Amino acid sequence: MMKKGLRFLSIGICVVLMIGLIGGCVQKATETPIPPTEEPVVEVSPEAEAAPVTEEAAAAEQASAEKVYTVGINQFAEHGSLDNCREGFIEGLAAKGLIEGQNLKIDYQNAQTDIGIANQIAQIFVSNKVDLICGIATPSAQASYNAASKANIPVIYTAVTSPEAAELVKPDGTNPGMITGTSDLLPAKAQLEMIREVLPEAKKIGILYTTSEANSKPMIELYEKLAPEYGFELVIKGISTGADIPTAADTVLNEVDCMTNLLDNTVVNSLPTILDKANAKKIPVFGSEIEQVRIGCLAAEGINYLELGRTTGEMAADVLLGNAKAEDLKFQTIEESNLYLNEKVAKELGITIPEALLSRAVETFQD
Amino acid sequence: MESILLGVFEQGMIYSIMAMGIFITYAILDFPDMTTDGSFPLGGAVTVALMTSGITGIAVFGLVIPSYIVALPLAFIVGAAAGVLTGVIHVKFKVRDLISGIIMMTALFTINLRVAGSANVPIFSRDNMFMNPLVSSVFTGNGKKYSTLLIIFFVVLICKLILDAYLRTRSGLLLRAVGDNPQFVTTLARDKGNVKILGLAIANGLIALSGSLMAQWQRVFDLQQGTGTMVIGLASVIVGMSLTKGFSFIRATTAVILGSIIYRGCIAIAIRFGMSANDLKLITAALLFVILVLSREKKKKVAHHA
Repeated sequence: MMKKGLRFLSIGICVVLMIGLIGGCVQKATETPIPPTEEPVVEVSPEAEAAPVTEEAAAAEQASAEKVYTVGINQFAEHGSLDNCREGFIEGLAAKGLIEGQNLKIDYQNAQTDIGIANQIAQIFVSNKVDLICGIATPSAQASYNAASKANIPVIYTAVTSPEAAELVKPDGTNPGMITGTSDLLPAKAQLEMIREVLPEAKKIGILYTTSEANSKPMIELYEKLAPEYGFELVIKGISTGADIPTAADTVLNEVDCMTNLLDNTVVNSLPTILDKANAKKIPVFGSEIEQVRIGCLAAEGINYLELGRTTGEMAADVLLGNAKAEDLKFQTIEESNLYLNEKVAKELGITIPEALLSRAVETFQD
Repeated sequence: MESILLGVFEQGMIYSIMAMGIFITYAILDFPDMTTDGSFPLGGAVTVALMTSGITGIAVFGLVIPSYIVALPLAFIVGAAAGVLTGVIHVKFKVRDLISGIIMMTALFTINLRVAGSANVPIFSRDNMFMNPLVSSVFTGNGKKYSTLLIIFFVVLICKLILDAYLRTRSGLLLRAVGDNPQFVTTLARDKGNVKILGLAIANGLIALSGSLMAQWQRVFDLQQGTGTMVIGLASVIVGMSLTKGFSFIRATTAVILGSIIYRGCIAIAIRFGMSANDLKLITAALLFVILVLSREKKKKVAHHA
C-alpha cells in the first residue's frame, strides 16, 4: 500500500511539473519577459541613429502607446556570426521605431544545435502567440516555419545560406507562405578576385569542408563554378569530423598554393590547427569573415553579419507595422562584401599586400 | 499553452516509438545498442529520399498507396536491416555489444548522408502523413488542430499493440528469456545469438520508423539529429518504467510511452521557464534525476519496512 502511495506521489510530481509548464506560459503572458542576458538595453548603432526617422517610424511611435509587439528569436547555435545577426536584427527593428523595452518584447531562445529543441522553441513561440518569429540559421528557420505556418504567424529568417535548398523559397522565387528573410551566401566572386590580387601567381586553392554540413554544399558549388574564371583550380577535401582535420590539412597543403575557408563550423572551429600547419609551410590561408582574420588568416572578403541582421530587422519591422506582407517580400542577399586584412600574417609569410587592397580594407589587424 | 502541450504530446509520442525499440534492446536484451544514433536518422533519410525521388505512390492491388505511407514500412525494413548487421557483428564476429553498435552507428552516418543526398533535406513542399488532401478533407474546423496528434496516436497505438502481441508469442517469449536467462534458451535447443539478432532487428526497425515520422512531422531531415537519440530513449524507458513499477496493470510499453512524453515535458518546462540555452541540458538532467530518485526512494523505504 505504502509503495503504491509513493508511486502516486511521484506521478503527482510529474503532473505538478506539467502544470508548472502551463503556469510558466501564463506567467510569460502577463509579465514582461526577461530581455536577453547579454545586452539588457539595445544599443542603437550609429547607422541606426543616422537613419532618417521615416513616416513609418513616426507612425510606429504613435502606435506604440497601444500596441507592444512580441518577437520570438529562435537561434540555432551560439557563435559569433549568429550572435551578430541577432544583435543586428534588434538594431534593425529599432531603426524602424520598434524599440525593445518600449514597444517591443523580445523572447530569445537558443537551440544549442539541436533541431528537436528548435522545434519545441518554435512551438512555444506559437502558443505564446508572438507577432513574429525570427529564425537564425537554417534548421531554426525551418523549425520556425513548420510551427508557424499552421498558426499564420510570419517568420523572418537570417543566416540561411541557400533559402532555395532549404525550401524556404519556391523554385520560381516566390515565398511558400508567410516567410522571408536574408541569406548569408558568401561573396565568392569578391573573395576570388581578392586572392588573385594578393597572389598573382597562385594556381591551386585548397578548401576543406564537412560533408555533413548542409551550408557548405551550395558554397562549394559556387566556388567550383567561379574558380576557372579567375584561373584557379580547386582542391576540395571533405571531412566527417573535426578529428579528420589534421590529416586532411596535411594532404591539402601538399598540393596547393593557398587555402580558403567557407563558413563550415567544424573547419572554422579547428582553424588554429590548420593555420599552424599552413604557416609552417608558408602557405597563406584566406578566411571568410572578420573573426577568422583576427585569429590569423591573411585576408577575407566577408559579409558583415551585423549588417545582415540589420537588414533582416528592418524587414521584420515592415511586416510587424503592416507596411509589407511577409509572403510578398523577396528574400535578400547582401551584395557588398567587406575586406579584412592581417598585416602581421602578411609579413610572416613575406607577402606584400597591394596598396589598392590596403586602402579599401574595412579593418586591418596589425598584431 | 494548449499548443505547447500539443507539441509535447506530438513529439513525445513520435519519440516513444523509438523508446519502445530501446526498451527491447536495453530492458529486454540488456544490450547497450548504439546503433540507435544511426538508425533514427536512417528512417528519416529513407523517407526523404523516397519522397523527393518523384515517386508519389505505389500501386497495391489497384490501390495507390502514397509514398509518405510507404515510407513507414520501408523505414522499418531498412532499420531492421541495420539492426541485423549490428547483431551479426556482435554474435557471429564476437565483437562486444557496445562496440558493434558503435561500428554500425559510424557506418550509418555515411550511409544516411548518401541516402538523403545532403545533411539537411527539407520536404516542405510535399504531402506527408500529417498534411495531405485526405487529412484536410476529414478534419475541418476545430478538429484540424488535433489531426496530427490523432494520427500519431493511431500509429503509436498500432506499434504498441503489435509489440505487446508479439512479446506474448513463442518467439517473443524467447526474446524475453535471452535477457533474463540465456541458459533457458539454450536448454530449449534454440540459438540465443539468433534471438538477439531478431531483437535488434525489431528494435532498430521501430527506431527508424520513429525517425521517419519525425522527419515527416518537422518536414525536414537533419543528419545531426541522430546524435543523442539513444540517451533520449534510455531516459524515457527508465523514467517510464520506474514511475509505473508499482502498477502491475500498466504494461511496459505503455510505461515507455508515458516516459517519452514526460521527457519532452521536462524540456518544454526548461525552455518555458526561460532557462538559458546553456543550462537547458543540465536542467533536463536535473528534472529527470529528481523523477528517478523519487521513484527509487520508495523501493528502498519499502525494503526497510520489510
